[in-house]
Amino acid sequence: MDSVGYVSPFVPPEWIAAHGLRPAWLTLDGREADLPEGARRGTCPFAAALIVEALSGSAAGALVLATSCDQMRYAAAYLDAHCRVPTFLLNVPSTWQTPQSRRLYREELDRLGGFLAARGGRPPMPERLAATLLRYDEHRAAALRARPAMPAGQWSRTLIALRSDLATLPEVKASPAAGIPLALVGGPQPAGDARLLERVERAGGRIVLDASEGGERTLPAPFDRRRLAADPLDELVRAYFDTIPDAFRRPNTRLYEWLAHHLAARGVRGILFRRYLFCDLWNAELHRLRRQSGLPVLALDLAAGDDRETDRSLGRIEAFLETLTL
Amino acid sequence: MTPPRRISLDDWDRRYAELRRAGLREPAYGGDLRRHVTEGDTRLLRLKLDNSPAALRLWNFLLSEEDRLRHARREGNILVGVLKDLGTVPVMAYALPSVVAFYPDGAWWLPCIMEHSTALLETADSLGVDDSFCPVRAMLGAFVCQSHFPIPDLLICSTGATCDDLSAIAQRLEGLGHPVFWWEIPHRRPPDAGEPSVALPGIFRAPRRQVDFVRAELERVRALLEDRTGKPLSVAALAAGIRRANRVRALLSRLRRRAFTATPAPLPALEMLIAEMLAIHFCSDQDECIAVLGALLEEVDRRIAAGIGPLRHDAVRVFWVNPIPDGVAPLEALARTALADPMAGSPLERAERICRDAARFGAEALVISRIPGASHCALEGALIGHTVRRRLGLPVVEIEVPPVADSLEPGLRTRLEALVETVRSVRLPTSMGPGGLQ
Ligand code: SF4
Ligand code: SF4
Repeated sequence: MDSVGYVSPFVPPEWIAAHGLRPAWLTLDGREADLPEGARRGTCPFAAALIVEALSGSAAGALVLATSCDQMRYAAAYLDAHCRVPTFLLNVPSTWQTPQSRRLYREELDRLGGFLAARGGRPPMPERLAATLLRYDEHRAAALRARPAMPAGQWSRTLIALRSDLATLPEVKASPAAGIPLALVGGPQPAGDARLLERVERAGGRIVLDASEGGERTLPAPFDRRRLAADPLDELVRAYFDTIPDAFRRPNTRLYEWLAHHLAARGVRGILFRRYLFCDLWNAELHRLRRQSGLPVLALDLAAGDDRETDRSLGRIEAFLETLTL
Repeated sequence: MTPPRRISLDDWDRRYAELRRAGLREPAYGGDLRRHVTEGDTRLLRLKLDNSPAALRLWNFLLSEEDRLRHARREGNILVGVLKDLGTVPVMAYALPSVVAFYPDGAWWLPCIMEHSTALLETADSLGVDDSFCPVRAMLGAFVCQSHFPIPDLLICSTGATCDDLSAIAQRLEGLGHPVFWWEIPHRRPPDAGEPSVALPGIFRAPRRQVDFVRAELERVRALLEDRTGKPLSVAALAAGIRRANRVRALLSRLRRRAFTATPAPLPALEMLIAEMLAIHFCSDQDECIAVLGALLEEVDRRIAAGIGPLRHDAVRVFWVNPIPDGVAPLEALARTALADPMAGSPLERAERICRDAARFGAEALVISRIPGASHCALEGALIGHTVRRRLGLPVVEIEVPPVADSLEPGLRTRLEALVETVRSVRLPTSMGPGGLQ
């Protein structure tokens, strides 16, 4: 079974799985991305890492990117010109208040279905689609129930499995020791962050909310069983397009509503903000996040070629935690 | 006829006095160029400007836009700030009486023309929008300082397949209490096999359903404009608005064809660049914009007939402006135009179009002028350079020009001179390339 790699939370893995293909949420490390000269300056390290991975041929059998940011749209074109891996660019409207935006997203899922079929997938009958959706939904619900007992690194791995083929869901281990409740907010977590998160916990912090791009914030809403039975694809659209809050959405008020609710509910005392050099969408939000959350925010900047970032960030996180204990 | 030349502002003082003595007639915003320096546009002191009365009018028109906007407000007009889209919403806005549309994102050039005396970038910095963003961040500063353009009554921003810089900054504006009306331009994609499609202005086709989508979005814009003005925006008014906009675009198209293909070049690149900008936003007065471009075209025609020009040859980076299709329903026409925006589609398509224009205008080299911090530039520049080298075999140089580039000028000059030398060395054996080395 061929794998289909993706990095946008607006690409539903259950749609890929229902076609009989294997969805794979790609974790990338922008610190190591090294694009050819000429394309390097100005490219966000995450998009650069995706390109490098795709060019190396190790990413997946096919790729699905989304139009939610410029860098990804241009990365798709770059791959079109330079890479053999078949790539589909999913048009995710940034506006969400109109029926036509929603319809466009649904039509795009249909087109994605055509792409998957051309890669050996089988278009699902409604029953099979509904069953696949339910399977993912149940796993997500179970994982969310178990989340409070999981250390951050394990939760990250669980999230990756929930967005992939569900085969590698880790066992729930004992709860981590209590620590200062922190939230992770911003763009995608680089692959190397698992080590960072473990060290944060050893230093006395505890990630109680993962609102990064691959985190809990971007999990779809639970499916409604009745609507699922009536029209599974429409329910998929509702759970993803209608509910996931993100920085690129216009307006992005729901991101702040979501954060306000979850930061308060989890008793968060400080925010680790993950941002990439040249990522305008998240960079522009830092100032607003500080004002609207009223919480101390530590920006963790990621640039390509900066392999000392983790060590430096750790030192800064430790100092940040100290200020929070005062 | 005074020989065409590029002259300094000091020379323009003398030239202006001369023209006045000779009976120069000017519109209300006319006058000497020196006064703009007094008002802060100190960059003029360092530029070489075309010495024709048509260029004088062009510069005065451009540099008096803020006065025009303030006047429009005093007269009770509704000011519509249009963000991002290249000339779609202004056409709709100008189809209504008592509405003046302008592009607040034009504030990007204030730090350049006013040589950093504005503190706009520093204000943007203080709001966390630093130089990892493109120079359009000056707009955020302008909204906060409120000392440049009047704050619009309505802000309309296209989003989706536009750029992240502007989208992110417009979102910040909304966060600062300036409500934004968002409308979506989807990423233009080639039609799938067998999918109904529509020809767009220029060379692209788009799926029928994408055009329908944009048309529905523009219906929302229309409803908003009607609601705010309390006046219906009829099909007839829209069609008349499109005809007026097409007059501007037709003028520009003739100007480009004439200016880019004649030898010697009848107009310097700087004035051409401004003419291109006017065709997008009309500089807040559509009728006067037509008159300004008309005068420029007459000057160009006169110079071509006399075989004279201010330059021996030019190297102009072409910016494409699309005509709005006539003969189709107005909103359908505008939807097709909006989707034809080069930035709405793949940069590979844009590269194709650049190749076509470069070949059509006989370009001998390509300069890719990257905008620092612009989210699209890095990969787009690489793709365009790659395509042009492969398809046309032209020498390509990529430069990056910040809003105030004085300290970088020597380095930029060296690179551009090297490019010119490369072209010359290629030309010599055959002796006559386009553009002429007589
Ligand atoms: S990190 Fe930002 S710029 Fe980079 S791909 Fe993600 S959203 Fe786009
Ligand atoms: S990123 Fe590019 S298109 Fe967008 S505002 Fe800046 S210069 Fe203009």
